[in-house]
Amino acid sequence: MKLEVGDIHVDALEFGSVSTVEGHTVSINREELTSYLKTLDNRLTSLELNIARPGESVRIMPVKDVLEPRVKVEGKGAIFPGIAANGNEMVGCGRTHVLKGMAIVTAGKIVGFQEGVIDMSGPGADYCPFSDKLNLVITAEVEESCTPHEHEAILRKVGQETALWVGRMAKDVEPHEVTTYETKSLAEQVIENPELPRVGYIYMLQSQGLMHDTYLYGVDAKQILPTLLEPTEAMDGALTSGNCVAASDKVTTYMHQNNPVIHELFKHHGTRYNFVGAIVTNENVTLKDKERSSAFTTKLASQLGLDAVIVTEEGYGNPDTDLVMNCKRLEDAGIKTVLITDEFAGRLGESQALADSTDRAKAMVTCGNGNPVVDLPAMDVVIGHLDTTDHIVGGYEGSLHEDGSMTIEIQAIIGATSAVGFHNLAARAG
Amino acid sequence: MVKEIEKVMPVVHLATVVPISKTVGANRIVPAIAIPHPLGDPTVNLKAEKQLRKDLIEKGLAALETSIDEQTVF
Repeated sequence: MKLEVGDIHVDALEFGSVSTVEGHTVSINREELTSYLKTLDNRLTSLELNIARPGESVRIMPVKDVLEPRVKVEGKGAIFPGIAANGNEMVGCGRTHVLKGMAIVTAGKIVGFQEGVIDMSGPGADYCPFSDKLNLVITAEVEESCTPHEHEAILRKVGQETALWVGRMAKDVEPHEVTTYETKSLAEQVIENPELPRVGYIYMLQSQGLMHDTYLYGVDAKQILPTLLEPTEAMDGALTSGNCVAASDKVTTYMHQNNPVIHELFKHHGTRYNFVGAIVTNENVTLKDKERSSAFTTKLASQLGLDAVIVTEEGYGNPDTDLVMNCKRLEDAGIKTVLITDEFAGRLGESQALADSTDRAKAMVTCGNGNPVVDLPAMDVVIGHLDTTDHIVGGYEGSLHEDGSMTIEIQAIIGATSAVGFHNLAARAG
Repeated sequence: MVKEIEKVMPVVHLATVVPISKTVGANRIVPAIAIPHPLGDPTVNLKAEKQLRKDLIEKGLAALETSIDEQTVF
């Protein structure tokens, strides 16, 4: 499987009379796109597009998801297969164009309580991996009669359709940079570079329900058995986020499209290890499901003959058990593990970081502690609704101050402790 | 909380994720149904759900009365 990813570097995003990509500038006809999006669901009551640029005094909240505009140029299928119209083919092959440097952000009244903040400047921007992007923000509201699940589904669709609409503008544009990612058939891949360790990626997806969901080819991940994924499928949008889990460690659709673990594994493939592929698994709410998925994942890893795996977890709390179970079973099967997770260890880092533990976990990488508190100054412009501050995870009664500034735990900031490593926090510079 | 209560009286931890109950050091553990609905099951009818709940509570009460020497999953 070979996928060419062509990046068109975007350094200016503006509204204009026509929708075009010229050089490094993306221009969007605001009325045209707004009109199209309003047709997506008759329960939408309002929909507004805004642009938020790095360095501006802008706060976006509550943010549901962030997506990257991409388009299939060659090869079967469509971005967001299983969801997009005419997109029921397998993806991950051919050529895909990306409008790199911009993002689609969905905001609007709170759906659950686990949506987050993006500040485009100030101390909050240091924590957020999307503060340095040119963000096209959709603020959409729905009829009061919609249930939270319906509300979430409508905004998810609006976000995905916007990303597809904007992505299509990149179809006939010559990319500034093209990178090729290739994995072979399993029969060939497993025996490639026999002197190197065979390494896989265990890609855990949030699937607790109650708006903690991820979709694989449009299928709710709580209903899947663990399965194999070509790493390039993720780049073409095979995984989409439908979750409102804690803002700091939710894996947004953008992060699935740009998963740093996959990119890093490709980087040293063939020199330091043989990157065989990814196994996607879920994080369900019954013990039976957790045990079955963890056993099934281990079986697949053994079938692939993996020597070692990297495991990432999405969310925290009971999914820590899925992480620990995966670790124990894989280690018992003779497969070495490195676990990547964030921590919720209290504001001073004095509490137990994960809800579960095992002495089999020998190598762990932390994405940071979500509990420390930061003061975020007021911004000149708020896109969305500031009055949700006290109610989002990471906020508390009194978080929002009269002047519009806020005191919150960093878990309220989108991507601050991203559990796939798509975050800015580091123990040291560089 | 389970550990604090146990300082003064026996306690049963009725919860879904048994490994976490074990990790936190609960001694009498009764597995529940699912994290969002530990004592209920929205997939069955109300009568069956009530029975399910009654059975789990009775199992919990029996666990309370059972003498144990080590961490036990009932």
